[in-house]
Amino acid sequence: MKYRDLFLYEWKHFIRSPFKIIALVLFVVAGVYGLNKGASLHEQHEREIEKIEKRASEDRQKVIDDYFITGELNPEDRPWIDYGTPFWSIWFSYVHHFKNPSPAMVYSIGQSEQFGFYKRVTFWASPYDADLAEEIANPERLQTGTLDFSFTILFLLPLVLLVLLYNLKSWESEQGFMQLILVQMPSKNIWLASRVSFYIFLLVATILALLLVGTALTPVFEHSPEAFTQMLFFCIAYLLFWAALYFIFLSGSKTVLGNTLKMSTAYLLFAFIIPASVHQVLSTQYPPNMMTDFIDVRDRQQELYNQPDSLFQAKLNELYPEILVSSVYKDSTKRGAARNRSAASLVNELKKSSLLLIEEEFEKKNAFIEGTFWFSPVSYFQNRFNTISGTHFDDYQTYRNDVQTLIDKQIRTMVLDTWNNKKIDRSGYEKYIQELEKL
Amino acid sequence: MWSMIKNEWRLLIRNRVLLGVSVGFIGLLVLTIYLGNEESKEQSERYEKAKAHMCEQWESIKEMNPHGAAHYGTYVFKPNNSLSSLDEGVNNITGNVLRVEGHVQNEIVHSEASQSQVVSKFGKLKGSLILQYTVPLLLIFLAFQSISGEKQSGRLKLLLMQGTKPSKLIFSKALSVWLLGNLLLLITILAYALFIGSDMNSEIFTRTAFLALSYSLYYFVLTALTIYFSIRWSNSNVSLTTMLGIWIVWTIFLPNIIMSSVENWHKLPSREEFKTAMDDDRSQGLDGHNPEDERSKELEEQTLKKYGVDSVSQLPINFDGIVMQADEEYGNKVWDKHFGDLRKVLTKQKQSYQLGGIINPFISLQNMSMGFAGNDNLHHQEFLVQVEKYRRVFIKRLNDEHAYGGSKSGEWGWKADNAFFKSVEDFVYKPTPFAKVVSNYVMDLVLLLLWVLIACILLILGTKKMRVL
Repeated sequence: MKYRDLFLYEWKHFIRSPFKIIALVLFVVAGVYGLNKGASLHEQHEREIEKIEKRASEDRQKVIDDYFITGELNPEDRPWIDYGTPFWSIWFSYVHHFKNPSPAMVYSIGQSEQFGFYKRVTFWASPYDADLAEEIANPERLQTGTLDFSFTILFLLPLVLLVLLYNLKSWESEQGFMQLILVQMPSKNIWLASRVSFYIFLLVATILALLLVGTALTPVFEHSPEAFTQMLFFCIAYLLFWAALYFIFLSGSKTVLGNTLKMSTAYLLFAFIIPASVHQVLSTQYPPNMMTDFIDVRDRQQELYNQPDSLFQAKLNELYPEILVSSVYKDSTKRGAARNRSAASLVNELKKSSLLLIEEEFEKKNAFIEGTFWFSPVSYFQNRFNTISGTHFDDYQTYRNDVQTLIDKQIRTMVLDTWNNKKIDRSGYEKYIQELEKL
Repeated sequence: MWSMIKNEWRLLIRNRVLLGVSVGFIGLLVLTIYLGNEESKEQSERYEKAKAHMCEQWESIKEMNPHGAAHYGTYVFKPNNSLSSLDEGVNNITGNVLRVEGHVQNEIVHSEASQSQVVSKFGKLKGSLILQYTVPLLLIFLAFQSISGEKQSGRLKLLLMQGTKPSKLIFSKALSVWLLGNLLLLITILAYALFIGSDMNSEIFTRTAFLALSYSLYYFVLTALTIYFSIRWSNSNVSLTTMLGIWIVWTIFLPNIIMSSVENWHKLPSREEFKTAMDDDRSQGLDGHNPEDERSKELEEQTLKKYGVDSVSQLPINFDGIVMQADEEYGNKVWDKHFGDLRKVLTKQKQSYQLGGIINPFISLQNMSMGFAGNDNLHHQEFLVQVEKYRRVFIKRLNDEHAYGGSKSGEWGWKADNAFFKSVEDFVYKPTPFAKVVSNYVMDLVLLLLWVLIACILLILGTKKMRVL
């Protein structure tokens, strides 16, 4: 019998098995459902960002209309504010930084529900502020997990493959047909591989179709075409991993029950037990960080304020040597006010130094997890999918780093313009907005 | 019947593969509880250290303006619960740190899940993971050919010819597998009790007993259903694949789909909507930091009248403290309204999700497991409410000191001494007593009992329709 015929006969086997057809249909339904989930979250993020941008734009226009156009830079009800100074002008610039969702989010929502994606950047801000928190969601739903496309691939694909393959060869063995088959075939493994490859092709075609459905839901091809090919590549690699594993069981087993038991055990082991064990050990070695280093900045901030002016000034000068040649520095009567305005810069440095320790711990955790990928393939593929869809921990860490860069830039601008006694008018305010939004 | 059960167990023990798998399960469960307990100890240690650190910081304030201290605030950390080694519930998802300060009710932040990349979609290796996902599969594998296998081998005919009642045979088959599940459950609970040692008290005992009951009921449903399919289908492979299909739908598909649907039926606001609505309501009230504010002026007039003086400077107290507290009380109304609405939506979501137990007993089991372990969202919300109550007492204490501690209006430089700060009580979390929350899980329990009833009816019907050949 030719291998091509074997391959085609398997189609007949498949269509005569309602259980297998139902399993495949359920897989497709779950895939489409998952893609819709991802697309709707992508849309939700985009909508939210648009809303916040609109609101910020309205707030800025109000500042321009009420203060810069009228020329009344000191509001009557809040006389301490002066929009003509860099400090207040930047404070009211309503600069936000967003983590724009990748259209590839349709394939994996990853950790997007555990992190915030918009943040107002001020000179008192930090990338670990409470307002950079995740969207409001039911924790029990988050704990149950969302059935997105990556979930379908990671947890349902191995099950569908199990259902499609569980009785290959073992059924023939139980019925006593094996000898008859071996008479016609040079090798039982080639015979089995041909049959298994039919189901691999069937599933590759199904995955490809599902990925294409995803491109219809969000503009993946337009914005990140490489995400499509990468997803396809890793989905096939994942499928092949399970197919190879199941093939080993199938070639060695003689009973349907034995096969099913071994395949189910492998599924439980790789999908549940191993990742959960790694998580458990990780959590024991690195319990959740209570962020006390970050909280301690509060006290260190008080200590900073209690320092003599000369010491405070020296620290400022060290941070921004440009201050030494500024106009305000030369006028000792104005130095005090400028120094007070510049306090945010030193506090920012304190925050950054405390965050180094915290982020170091996060890095250790991630290194630990990556060290387990060789025996925890499900976690590996999960994180690959998240990377492709821009929803991995590293993507959010990059976003936090970008927020910090913008905070640094805002502080630098505010401090230097304050020390240079810069006066801000409408065009200066608009220039701030333009400049401070750019990374 | 007992002798039949004993006989079934004897057969199970004789099967080396099944014996090996069962021993493996016992080892895994004990290891799971051990690791969970170690993690609990580590987390408790970190929690105690962080708590002590905050307490020390607060008590070391030499002198500070009370309102300045309200802005300085303090931090509350979410404590660990020893039942977490059985079921961690939502603890990995929710935050650990909550800032307590004046003018604002903050949200809990810095969850464990946000501190690393993804490891496991189904959580850590807790007792619940093994008991919810893997033990049921073991029971299915043990039960699926109990009748069809007897049919295929011809043993069933022999047994019935010897006078064994079909109902007795079927129930003893079901009970023998179910008892194995219960044995694993019992070992888990005993291992847990052994590891927590002297921490065991009546509260934990009651919670653990109910947790075990919920698993036991679920195992009965699953075992009985598998036996029913074993009676219905002459081919044991068909009964196995049917039960595997049910397992997949119940544990992987439905919880996800139902929970997502529930969130669509009862929508939560986006963070921005929530914040904007609160800010809008908050801005209608009095601004404690702005003496020009109209409501502040009204309060000033009332206070002057109360003390019978003409100006704030003549008041024997510090009017700023009164304004701050009034500001706080207005804010509290706003937080109550918005956070209250949020909690109402979450409650509706929970109730709707619980109804999912009508078509999926696994949902009832999951709800009860994390609920009885004290780690579901209801318990989490209860923790947040306790912190907020503390925040109000804490801030009032500071505002009262500001108003009546000896300073006069406008004296922002006035400072309370260390003795005062030491006298402010620290937050003490009082775990919600089981008796207070048990009513939340009645629906889950009733639905699971209904499933037990359905399973029994199916077994009886199966007995009547059983074909020997």
